Amino acid sequence: MEELISHLLFIGRGIVLTLQLLSGGLLLGLVLGTILSILRYNGIAVGILNRIISICRGTPLILQLSFVYFAIPGFIGTKLDVSTAGIITFGLNSSAYIAEILRAGIESLPKGQFEAAKTLHIPSFHLWKDIILPQVIQHVLPAMINESIALLKETALIATIGGMDLMRKAQILGAEQFTYFMPLCIAGGYYYALVLFIETVGKKIETRGYYVKS
Amino acid sequence: MLRVNNISKKFGQIEVLHDISLTVEKKSIFGLAGPSGSGKSTFLRCIQKLESVDSGTIEYGGKAGFMFQDFQLFPHMTVLENVIYAPKLHDKTKDHTIRAFSILEDLGIVDKTKVYPNTLSGGQKQRVALARSLMMQPQLLLCDEPTSGLDVATTLDVVSLLESIRQRDVTMVIASHDLDFLTKVSDHIVILKGGEIISQVNPKTLKNPINYLKHYY
Ligand SMILES: Nc1ncnc2c1ncn2[C@@H]1O[C@H](COP(=O)(O)OP(=O)(O)OP(=O)(O)O)[C@@H](O)[C@H]1O
Ligand SMILES: [Mg+2]
Repeated sequence: MEELISHLLFIGRGIVLTLQLLSGGLLLGLVLGTILSILRYNGIAVGILNRIISICRGTPLILQLSFVYFAIPGFIGTKLDVSTAGIITFGLNSSAYIAEILRAGIESLPKGQFEAAKTLHIPSFHLWKDIILPQVIQHVLPAMINESIALLKETALIATIGGMDLMRKAQILGAEQFTYFMPLCIAGGYYYALVLFIETVGKKIETRGYYVKS
Repeated sequence: MLRVNNISKKFGQIEVLHDISLTVEKKSIFGLAGPSGSGKSTFLRCIQKLESVDSGTIEYGGKAGFMFQDFQLFPHMTVLENVIYAPKLHDKTKDHTIRAFSILEDLGIVDKTKVYPNTLSGGQKQRVALARSLMMQPQLLLCDEPTSGLDVATTLDVVSLLESIRQRDVTMVIASHDLDFLTKVSDHIVILKGGEIISQVNPKTLKNPINYLKHYY
């Protein structure tokens, strides 16, 4: 029992990095994804943006992570720490998926919403901030929750560049104990608990939906 | 008040409006009739600059407001928020609530200020959309099919509603399928067909304006 608790604590310390990567990556992904989809909707740099999104979705994430951590510092001349490299990679990568999710959401709105705003002389910034995005977010919330869960699971790749997250901690403990069974079960439990947490929060926001699409 | 000079509009190869000219007097209610696909909506959208014209000019003084057939209220905002959102953006120093309440009162929906649009009936949504347009103090109001989906009694309400808006010095152009409604509300009616004006009438001078209009369909 005491051993189990000490194992739980040992692996549990990895949750700090996992959460950092999840929240940082998600935040960056949301900001960039929103900017990408608005630029694209307005027909700005569509060709380039589509290519970037397609590359982000079309190459292995583990490659992207290595690229940012091992290859980019060679260009910029400073070493990135593991969590920064992770947040940048996961943020960029999820921004590509989020841009696609938002695109579908924006296209599902009636064009009349844009036109009504135009007849009321609502400036572009306010159009997006107050009229379009609040409705889009309500529509795409389920897809966003899926994306968050996918991102959470993908953060385990940080172990490949030496990040001490849940997964890496479990591996270390496994190597010390000469058995991976318990450590991996514990890490799995942590991940699953986080997934349940995301789902619960998502459901809360969803059902708080103050209006029904009419 | 509104002068349209020789406008033409193409969607791709298809000419939807062909060399249309007309003049609408101040404070008058101008009806646009014509079969489906004749270009009524497109014409209104050109006046509002939701569509560009290929040739010709459109002139009017002041601002134009637009009533969409499906209202296009903002579903995530309450009635009051729908109505004061845009005025608040344009003038942050003023309190627009009092004027909003007064307009909503005039339109008979002041009891609905706190609800979301999805809980309103078609007629109520229309009044909210009307209030939202009026808050912008337009001199010209363009209405696309204002009675579609409304029952007979509500349609009659719309007639008196538009009459009362005229009293605010608003000139109106109304596109509608509903000839009965159109002859009741308009001072002047043009009939569009295939993107051209094929006839103009003053319904008040005709004995049976509906029959007269019908034979153009
Ligand atoms: N965005 C568009 N792209 C291509 N064609 C269009 C577009 N909008 C309208 N049209 C075409 O223009 C013509 C006129 O359409 P419009 O909607 O103005 O007619 P309408 O008189 O309002 O018809 P209704 O009475 O059915 O509302 C139609 O043939 C329609 O298919
Ligand atoms: Mg129409």
